[in-house]
Amino acid sequence: MKKKKEQPPSANKGLISVVPLGKVGPDVIRVVSDSLQGILRVPVDVEEETIIPQDAFMEGRNQYNAMTVIKFLANDRPHKSLKVLGVTQKDLCNPILTYVFGEAYMGGSAAVMSCHRLYTDQTGEPVSREQFLDRVVKVALHEIGHTFNIAHCHTDRCVMRASNSLMDLDSKLNYLCPYCELFLFDALRAALQ
Amino acid sequence: MGRRHRLMVVDDELIVRESLAAWLEKEAAVVDKAESGAHALALLEQHFYDILFVDIKMPGMDGFALLEKVKENFPTTLVVIITAYGTVEHAVQAMRLGANDFLVKPFDPDGLGLMLAKLLEHKRLLEEAQYLRSEVNRCWAAPDEIIGVSAPMVELFRTIQEVSASDSSILILGETGTGKELIARAIHASSKRIGGPFVPINCGAIPESLIESEIFGFEKGSFTGAIRPKKGLIEVAEGGTLFLDEVGEISPKMQVDLLRILQDRVFYRVGGVDPIRADFRLISATHRDLNQAIVQGNFRQDFFYRINVITLRIPPLRERRDDIPPLAEHFVRRFARETNRDVDAIDHRAMQILVGYDWPGNIRELENVVERAVVTARKRVLTAEAFDYLQPAAGGVTDGRGPRSLHEAEIAHIRRVLDEEGWNISHAAKVLEVDRTTLHKKLRKYDLHPSEKL
Repeated sequence: MKKKKEQPPSANKGLISVVPLGKVGPDVIRVVSDSLQGILRVPVDVEEETIIPQDAFMEGRNQYNAMTVIKFLANDRPHKSLKVLGVTQKDLCNPILTYVFGEAYMGGSAAVMSCHRLYTDQTGEPVSREQFLDRVVKVALHEIGHTFNIAHCHTDRCVMRASNSLMDLDSKLNYLCPYCELFLFDALRAALQ
Repeated sequence: MGRRHRLMVVDDELIVRESLAAWLEKEAAVVDKAESGAHALALLEQHFYDILFVDIKMPGMDGFALLEKVKENFPTTLVVIITAYGTVEHAVQAMRLGANDFLVKPFDPDGLGLMLAKLLEHKRLLEEAQYLRSEVNRCWAAPDEIIGVSAPMVELFRTIQEVSASDSSILILGETGTGKELIARAIHASSKRIGGPFVPINCGAIPESLIESEIFGFEKGSFTGAIRPKKGLIEVAEGGTLFLDEVGEISPKMQVDLLRILQDRVFYRVGGVDPIRADFRLISATHRDLNQAIVQGNFRQDFFYRINVITLRIPPLRERRDDIPPLAEHFVRRFARETNRDVDAIDHRAMQILVGYDWPGNIRELENVVERAVVTARKRVLTAEAFDYLQPAAGGVTDGRGPRSLHEAEIAHIRRVLDEEGWNISHAAKVLEVDRTTLHKKLRKYDLHPSEKL
């Protein structure tokens, strides 16, 4: 399929908002919002920092339940945008998985991502800031993609390819393949109608 | 994932159902959720599932019990057992009961992804193997691929093995739709000629004017339109097997020509002068009574002896009812796959109807009936409703179209008259316009008793 740049469906303000959940580096929030805006070509707002809900904390695992955080973002705070992405430094998991880089329901209104596991390589050695931010962009884009009902992709190195390890994450690119891009713009168009 | 898979998460905990289903949905799968074993079984009746993720600990039917039921009733569905109390014993028990994999909560996302990919690949390979096996069977039916568990078929398989080794001509007798060509292919596949071609010719389907050039081929210019020479099917069959289906339909002239080839093992193309060596094994088949055709002068006796060195008779389906269930199940699997329908079983009552029916069209008719049922099915299991239109056989001789042979017609008619006359021999003999002694003889001959009334 020949890659063809789609036009943004609308220039509406605040289609996607990024919410820092607790202390998150300003460069991280900036790179997430700029990348989403640049790659998806939709307006992205950065909201005020908010505290990650404490009922999401799973004491036995010392992690936060991503599903609970998503429900908090979707239901327990005023809706200011079509989709919302929470960004946290806390380690995320869900009831069945030992950890997640990010989480979103297919077609849902909220997603969450964690930077916690993105700082190091498989052996625990720190990675460059550039590589870290590249990972942040990939996880953000991937989870927002799910909220637009884009499933895991098996095309080459598309950002929507499933990544269950840092190796998977590093091996994919930080943008959508032409198919996923087409599906995403279709979904955006449908959401705006 | 290639096609859209259908998966199910069975767990009494809502949070586990939701989390796992949400994860699986991202793989572009249709994911259903069930909170109990009973709910899961109800869903399994409605849809075909590729993989079930089943929690061991559930109130009511636990994961192991559900696993056993799934493996028994829906064997093509893969099952992954999940537990938060992972112990070696649980894993061993799950695998012993047929689980395809085992997960301990919480799972490593990488492990879950790899396991899903592995199971779906396993599933794809199973489906591919099933498809390829059926394709191969269509080309080369080996005796063990022909479905038949009844005594006559077991005997037939034994005979096929015996006759395959020789090069003698074989005549296969059997009613329409009994699978004569399949048997011929099986003989070819078991013989030393398997490396050569199997060339079937339906003698009843080729017009008389064309059959000669089809079988013998022709030389360039031998007739108008013969712009280049063409090999006949006998040449094509060199080193292999020539199968003459409906051999009873061959014209007397062609019988003479074929007889000459069988005797001399050489033939000439139409318009040709050079003898060509014929090297093939002949298998013929017919549903006609060739002895009667010989008596009537329609079939040459010398040709008959030449093609009939070995006779194989394929019994009609009504004489081997034990084969109906495995055949019906085979057709359900085949048509479910070919038509992409989620049907994989026939219930007991429906099977009783199929076994009770007389199948005048034999296996071909059964094939059509099952295809129709699969295509119109609304549930995974075919029920009696799908086959209601098949009337049960009346005493094994009628089938809605009436008796097929004179012999069957006589039995049916005598029984009907006796039934009408309340088995009063004198009255029945009067209606039949025979004397009582003759009727008594017939009753003994056909072993007819009042208890057989239907």
